[in-house]
Amino acid sequence: MTIGVKEVKLERTAADQIFLPAILEGLVTTARHFFRNTFGKGQPGIDTIRYGEPDVRTEDYYPDRYRGVHRLMYREDGTVRCVACMCCSTVCPAKCIYIEAEDRHDDEEKAPRLFVIDELKCVVCGLCVEACPCDAIRMDTKTHMTAVETREEAVLSKIDLLKRGAPSVAVQGGLGPDYRKLQPDRDPRFPGA
Amino acid sequence: MIDGQEVTVRKGTNVLEAAKLLGKDISHFCYHPGLSIAASCRQCLVEIEKAPKLTPSCQAIVADGMVVHTDSPRVQEARRQMLEFTLKNHPVDCPICDKAGECILQRHYMDHDHRLSRVDVPKVRKAKHKDIGREIVLDQERCILCSRCVRFCEEVPKTAELGMMFRGDREILDIDDNRRLDNPYSLNVVDICPVGALTSKDFRFKIRAWELHATATTCNGCATGCAIELHHKDTRAYRIVPRLDPDVNSYWMCDAGRMTYKELDPDLRIHHARVDGETAPLAEAIAEAARRLRGKRTAVVYSAVETTEANLALAEVAKVLDATEFLARRPEGEVDDLLQDADKNPNLRGARRAAPDASDHMDQLALEIAGAAYEAVVFLGGLAPLSDVARQRLSSLASVCITDRRSELSDACAIVLPAASWAEVVGSYVNRQNRLRVLRPAFPPLADRRHPADLLHHLAVALGATDVPDARAHARALAEAYESDELRALVDAAEDVRPPLLRWAHMRG
Repeated sequence: MTIGVKEVKLERTAADQIFLPAILEGLVTTARHFFRNTFGKGQPGIDTIRYGEPDVRTEDYYPDRYRGVHRLMYREDGTVRCVACMCCSTVCPAKCIYIEAEDRHDDEEKAPRLFVIDELKCVVCGLCVEACPCDAIRMDTKTHMTAVETREEAVLSKIDLLKRGAPSVAVQGGLGPDYRKLQPDRDPRFPGA
Repeated sequence: MIDGQEVTVRKGTNVLEAAKLLGKDISHFCYHPGLSIAASCRQCLVEIEKAPKLTPSCQAIVADGMVVHTDSPRVQEARRQMLEFTLKNHPVDCPICDKAGECILQRHYMDHDHRLSRVDVPKVRKAKHKDIGREIVLDQERCILCSRCVRFCEEVPKTAELGMMFRGDREILDIDDNRRLDNPYSLNVVDICPVGALTSKDFRFKIRAWELHATATTCNGCATGCAIELHHKDTRAYRIVPRLDPDVNSYWMCDAGRMTYKELDPDLRIHHARVDGETAPLAEAIAEAARRLRGKRTAVVYSAVETTEANLALAEVAKVLDATEFLARRPEGEVDDLLQDADKNPNLRGARRAAPDASDHMDQLALEIAGAAYEAVVFLGGLAPLSDVARQRLSSLASVCITDRRSELSDACAIVLPAASWAEVVGSYVNRQNRLRVLRPAFPPLADRRHPADLLHHLAVALGATDVPDARAHARALAEAYESDELRALVDAAEDVRPPLLRWAHMRG
């Protein structure tokens, strides 16, 4: 096979050459969306999400498993669910979680004295949520980390994380003694149990 | 014959230890090589041919022609079922348990059971975080009733504070209402507890076990020189646990020795050299020290707490300066016939080896400094107890202090050189049995801190001495003198070996 040169003639019409029809076509599309979204009643599958506007709730658009800014859950009595087991800080690939434990001097025994997440270091992988044995840390806030002016503002303390939190009534250690009634087919290895 | 492999052992060895020789780790809770045998946990069951039923291997003494199966389906099933019984009332509160990560119950569950719980009735509740002694917190729910701690208290310190009470699933480990677990060896029960039932107040909630690195080194609490493991993360030490050394401390160590890690606190340390209260670069500080010391009437003070290498290096300096020699030591303390020695200096014999003629009359040194008998003093370590008058005189003398942390003495001296601590150097002590005890570096000395023997080596060189050995050469000579392969290997190692994470180190307990 020989290597040769093949000349291709580019066919350009006059309309292509002056560009105006294409520009007008684009303007029509833009204008159509503009009028439909501004004056129309809106529609399913809306084309523009006005993210950042106060009346827009990202919760309505984002899927349930979207990983947003962390939050810490609390018990019914208002204390933090975290028991400072360090599972999340151990598994964190970015090492962005810093915890110091303290003694609660009650039956729950252990709690975090410090619980700090550096959201700038966080890679939003969600492993901390997977590792948590107490349903204490969650990333289900569906909010992005907002822009900050200084780095310190992106380092969230226990108080910041609890403000986003909510009471969790998850039973420590799973579903508890009634698990068989709650989930009859839980473990195929114990069929008769 | 164990699992088809033939093994010959000393008379009286049990099957469990014989299997260990073959590298087979038979799971067990209640057996501990340093204690008597209870055979109560039944976790180490093995199949012995011609025996009618499964036999606990900790209790079965090896006999001629015995054929043992440690891994047959029958044995595996028995172990799994025993483990299920053990876990029946265990609270599984691993997230708040200090033992998590080094827990034998966790390990056996992963190895032998690894199934979901079938318990659908409430577990039996017992007392949690019960304060039973100066150093110990008891959690009766977590206890799996192996009785190791009970046997320890009966057999090693012979105080027998702990006991088992009640029967069946109400059985608990407890202590008399009017007694406390306050014997000087109480923290050993934390180490031998296979679960987190007995935990240390000092270590409680400080750090998780899997974050720690373990360095095998030597305790500097007294002249016994127990073999220890220093557990640390980065440059902060968190606890000390004993390491097996049959000739010195067996499996145990005293509570006082465990607390010596506190002197490694980074906040107390000296990081940079100081000349007349001002921070100075190390090289300049050494040159300045040499300039001030040259040709003066000098006293040098050896330390029975520092390594033999550092004392030998000070001897070189003393030779150059033709100095009068003194030896500083810690006062005598608690003594018993188990491990604690009245002599609280880890290295009195090593210091004596470096300076056989040094006087240990500190009062005399204080008087002579106060009376201006010396123009210069060199202190190794911040130990020497001096009177206030003598200490005030020091700042006007050419006084040099080589120490790893701040003390009254280092504050009083004109020149302070920052030394590495016992957790940062390759060094050695000579203990009360005249054995060489080796120090391994757990973490590298940061900032300007150096091996004290190296600082003294540089000082001797700056004073004009030639051919003085450095720390490594001293250590090599000591390794030859005491025929210590351990120290020789450490000195000859090309680079510092990073200590292993505890979770990869040999399982404790």
